[in-house]
Order: sequence, then C-alpha cells, then structure tokens
Amino acid sequence: MTNTPHILIIDDEAQIQRALRTILTEKQFQVTTASRGEEGLALAAASEPDLIILDLGLPDMDGVEVCRRLREWTQTPVIILSVRDSERQKVAALDHGADDYLTKPFGIEELLARVRVALRHSARVQGTQSKVVRAGLITVDLAWHLVKRGDEEIKLTATEYKLLAYLAANHGRVLTHQSILTHVWDPADADHTEYLRVYMRQLRKKLETDPERPQYILTEPGIGYRFIADE
Amino acid sequence: MSRFWQYILALTFLSATTAVLFILRDMIDTTLVALLYLIPLGIITARWGLAPGIASALVTFFAFNYFFIQPYYSLAVHRPTDVVILIIFLVVAIVVSQLVGRAQASLAAATAREREATQLYELSTALAGLPNDHEIAEILTKQVHAVAGDEYVELSVTGTNSLEVQLPDGNAPVRSPELIIPIEAARGVLGEIRLWRAEPAITSQEKRLLQTFASQGALALERAWLAQAESRARVLEESDQLKSAILSSVSHELRTPLSTIKAAASSLRGGEVGWDSQARIDLIAAIDDEADHLNLLVGNLLDMSRIESGVLKPKREWNILSEIIGGVLARMRHVSGEHKIEIDVPEALPLIPVDYVQMEQVFTNLLSNSLKYAPSGTTVRIRSQADADTVHIQVNNQGPQIPSDDLERIFDKFYRLTATDRVTGTGLGLSICKGIIDAHGGRIWAENIPTGIAFNITLPLLLDGTRPPELPMDMESE
Repeated sequence: MTNTPHILIIDDEAQIQRALRTILTEKQFQVTTASRGEEGLALAAASEPDLIILDLGLPDMDGVEVCRRLREWTQTPVIILSVRDSERQKVAALDHGADDYLTKPFGIEELLARVRVALRHSARVQGTQSKVVRAGLITVDLAWHLVKRGDEEIKLTATEYKLLAYLAANHGRVLTHQSILTHVWDPADADHTEYLRVYMRQLRKKLETDPERPQYILTEPGIGYRFIADE
Repeated sequence: MSRFWQYILALTFLSATTAVLFILRDMIDTTLVALLYLIPLGIITARWGLAPGIASALVTFFAFNYFFIQPYYSLAVHRPTDVVILIIFLVVAIVVSQLVGRAQASLAAATAREREATQLYELSTALAGLPNDHEIAEILTKQVHAVAGDEYVELSVTGTNSLEVQLPDGNAPVRSPELIIPIEAARGVLGEIRLWRAEPAITSQEKRLLQTFASQGALALERAWLAQAESRARVLEESDQLKSAILSSVSHELRTPLSTIKAAASSLRGGEVGWDSQARIDLIAAIDDEADHLNLLVGNLLDMSRIESGVLKPKREWNILSEIIGGVLARMRHVSGEHKIEIDVPEALPLIPVDYVQMEQVFTNLLSNSLKYAPSGTTVRIRSQADADTVHIQVNNQGPQIPSDDLERIFDKFYRLTATDRVTGTGLGLSICKGIIDAHGGRIWAENIPTGIAFNITLPLLLDGTRPPELPMDMESE
C-alpha cells in the first residue's frame, strides 16, 4: 500500500460522486470515479485501486453482479452503498464478496470508519494477522484461545469461542448471518438464524457490561453482526 | 311404481270387478253393469294416468261383451240394443278415461311446476345478497345436489376468479358426467356444473330446471363481481383522496427541515458566521439533525406506501425480543436523553417469529412517539410476557391521555391529536406500526392507563404452525 491509498468510486449519481471525491481527497486519498458498472470494472482492472466504493443501484448492471465479477480476479475490498429497505440485495452483495456496506444517507465519519477497517483488513490478509484483539476491557487471544475481561478469564463453550473468534478476527467488518452460520456451524445450518440469535445473547451476557445495550457485538438489522474492537 | 306394475294392478282390479259383477249377473240389468264398470275405469285413470285408463277401457269392453252380453262367453252380439249398449259403453269409457287422465296430467304438471317454482324461489332467496362468489358457488352446488339427488356434483368457475366446489366431498366418479350445464351470463360462459347420476336417467324437465338454476347462479356471480368491482373503485377513490392528503402533509413536513438546512447552509456559505463561533457549530448541527429528520420522513413515507400497496411481506424468523429492543435503544440513545427508559422483558421469554427490521421499526416509532408526547423526565416502560401461543408487549409512557374516541383513530394515516405546528411528524408512525403488526398476524391498540397511555401489541408465537425452538444452550462440553 502506498502512502495515499487509491479509492475507486462507482456511482451513477453526480452529486454523490462530487461529495465523496471532495471529502476523500481532503482526507488524503487518491480518488477515481466511474458512473457505470462496465466502466468501473475496466477502471478497477486498469488502475488496481486499494478500495472500491460501489453503489448497488447502477443503471447498466446489478451491483451484486459487479461484486461477483470483481471477486473473480481481485480481493480488493469493496464497500457497497445502498438505500434503506434493500436488505436482501445488501446481503446478496456481501455474500458475493463485498466487505461492508453503508446505507444512504450516511455520515462521513461512518464512511471513513468503514474505509479504515476495510483497508486494515486487506493489509492484514496480505501480511500477518494480529493475534490479540482488544475491545475495551475484553481481550481475545486468538493464538491461545483465551478470552479475558481485565485479568479475569471468561469461560466460553467451544461454539461460543468459535463464534467470538470469527467475529474478533474480522472486527469492524459486518458479517452476514449466512457467513457466520457456515463458518461457525455448517453450510447445512445456513438458515438457522435462531442459533445465532441464541448464541449471540449468550456471548453478550458473558462479554458485555449491559447485555441489553451491547457495545462490542452489534446487531446489523436484517444483515448480520459486527464486532467493535479498539482501533 | 313402474309402468308394468300399474298395468298388472289395473288388470287385477278389473278382474275383481268383473268377478263381483259376474256373481250378480242374474240380478242386475246389463245397462247397470255397464255403468258399474265405469267406476273402476275412473279410479284407474285417476291413479295411473291416461294410457292405463284407455287400455283398461278396451279390456273392460271385451270383458263386458264376453261375460255380460248374450250369448255369454262369446264376443258375438245378437240383440241390436246390446250393440248400442256396447258402443255407447266403449265411447263413454274412453271419453271418461281421457277426461280424468287429462285432469290428472295437468294436476301433476301443476304440482311439478309448483315444486320447481318453490325450488327456484328457495335458490334465488338463498343467493340474494351473497357478496362472495365462493359462497354463491357453494349454495348453488348444494341446491343442485338437493334437487337432482345425484351421486356427485361439481361446479367450476373459470377465468380470473376461478374456483371449484364439489358435493359430496371426495373424488368425482371415474366416468364422464351424465349432464354438463354451462353457467352462462351476458359476458360469456363463466363455468359449468357437472352432474353424475346414472339412475334414474335425467329427464328433460330436470334438465330444464337445472339450466334455470345455472342461469340464476350466473346472475348471482355477476352481481357479486360487479359489487366487488364497485368496492374496488371506491377504495381507489379513497386512496386518491389519501394521496392528496399525503401530498399536502408531505410538502408541509418536508419544507420545515429543508428551510432549516437552506438557512443554515446559506449563512455558512455567505461567510457571515465566524469560523470558530458557537453559531457555526449550532448551524452545522442543525443541518445534520434536519437531514436525519428528512431521512426519517422519507423512510416513513416509503414504509407507508409499501404497506398500502401490500408488498410489505414480513420475513418472519425466530428472534429475541430483547435484542430487537436493545438495537433500537442503542440507535435512539442521543434522542432519549431526557426520558428514562425501563425494559422489563423476562429472560425466559421464548423466541418470537418476527421480521427483525420491521419490528425494530415498530419499536422505533412507538418510542419516538412516547418521547415526543410524554413530558421530559418521565419514564417510558417496555414490558413483555408470553402465554401458550401469544406474546404480549406493552410500551407505556406518562404522556397525556387520549380521548377515548380517538384511541382507535390515532392509528389512522395522518391522524394527529395535536396541531401540526406543535409537534413535528408525518402522522404516519402509528399507522406504520399497525401495518407491520397486522402483516405479522398480530394486533396493536392503545389504551389509557392511570399513569398515562399504553400501546399494547399481541403477536402469534407460532411460525408455520411450529412453536418457538428451544435450544439446549450448552450442548457441547467446554
């Protein structure tokens, strides 16, 4: 990664392009824009950006299809932009390789946080993975399979640990129900979101200070879960 | 009684009469015998109709001649008076038979017509005012079945409102139906009635009656469809009025945040506000807040239009109520500052089959409603409990009570208790809640409680007939 990460924005709305370009350039990113899917795919191949921001509602092709075609040859992180009430489409894009999503309208802080997480995650995939994830008082040691609050160890069942480890290893990123279920349980269990609901409650009870108002394990309505760790 | 037995009985009756008269032959006059023979003839014709009557008249003629006209036991006639008696007897016998028979036949026809008229009357009374095409089909099938006494009857209506009714329950006989009557109306064939009855064969009279039934049914079906079309037209008209209401409400509601944003942004752009002043921070915050507010309004409108057009299909999955409420509270943290929010959801509450995102919407709307109307510093409570097949949820606040006439109307679109200039909103929040809860097969209502008002929700606990899953939590070793 160079010092100024390169971001490709694929969005057909001129105002959004203009706003994102202004803000991201201001934040020291190098920005390229495309307003159609085909153009975006061509630019992605030609300029090899560090991150792609992709609007799901493109005029010429389905955003999910763009994700799928990108994933045929590159692991460049993709953040999708979409409108409210299109959970199904968001989930489809996430399950086809997108890394994260933002619902329009979004605050710029939120966008920058997603960009940071996505860039860090792709750097981590290429380099070595950090072995210890910290979230407030909670420490998850992925190498030693150890979870602690302060100095006190938290006892987890095997499944609870597997679930937490998957969340923590991907901290900051949204994980869809399907990806968690196939990863922690089995592809055959991909429909059993009730497992997830019950185990998440259990995990929150053991980790969160107030399980009713979770700080670390956040629910992404209709999509999945996100583990928030310290930066 | 079959024809054959009628003739046998008529013959027996005549033989008996002949026997009695034969015993009395020497005591009575030949003309009296002829008159006495007319009695059984009349009775036979009256009972069994014209054909047995005429036949009996002929038999009687020969019996009279053979047994009572001299020379006896021969069909020969010697005396001219006897010839006259015989001829007169034959003519009278046939005429009597014919008259009685005709009267009998017209009586039978009148009775049959009366029965048909009664059956038709019953059918049309039963069909009158039925608004539902399925009910019409059922009544019609039932009446056809009752009248025809068939083994099986099947009624089918084709086209856009297609349906099928059978009587009795079960499968149709494997052979093809004995009678098919089309149900025809002005705009073409609507369907048909198929009838299975091998024995006795269907008479043309019955067929005519059933055809009349079918046309009555066709009229009733057309009337029901017209009524439905009319009510659809009324709904469209109402929704047209609703759209005008939406437009006026929306333009008002959208303009308020837009004005704020425009004013704030233009004053920032004009450079009249100091770079580091508090005013600048306030203006920027106003732009941000009002943009969120606009987003909420647009979201509400979208939800409402989806509820209205019936595309809001909840994706029901097993969820944990406290997780949904927790997510809403986390998102509303910055607006709920001045109220206390208490949650009382038992740990042991079963999983509930709901659409997570939609239920989040319900709680967001109920909470923001409570926060808007209840004075600051008061408490908003969310409570829940479950019984065998229902979960009960209550959101209550210490806001001002609602006049009892309005308790239902607050769920109507654009219905507001307070003047629009005092509290902002589209007047859609509660109707969206109702739309979502209805789509879940549940119920939502408001009530006044001593401390304020409460919104009650009940939701079915069954998902496709199954009860909430109970997952053993620590099924694996640690």
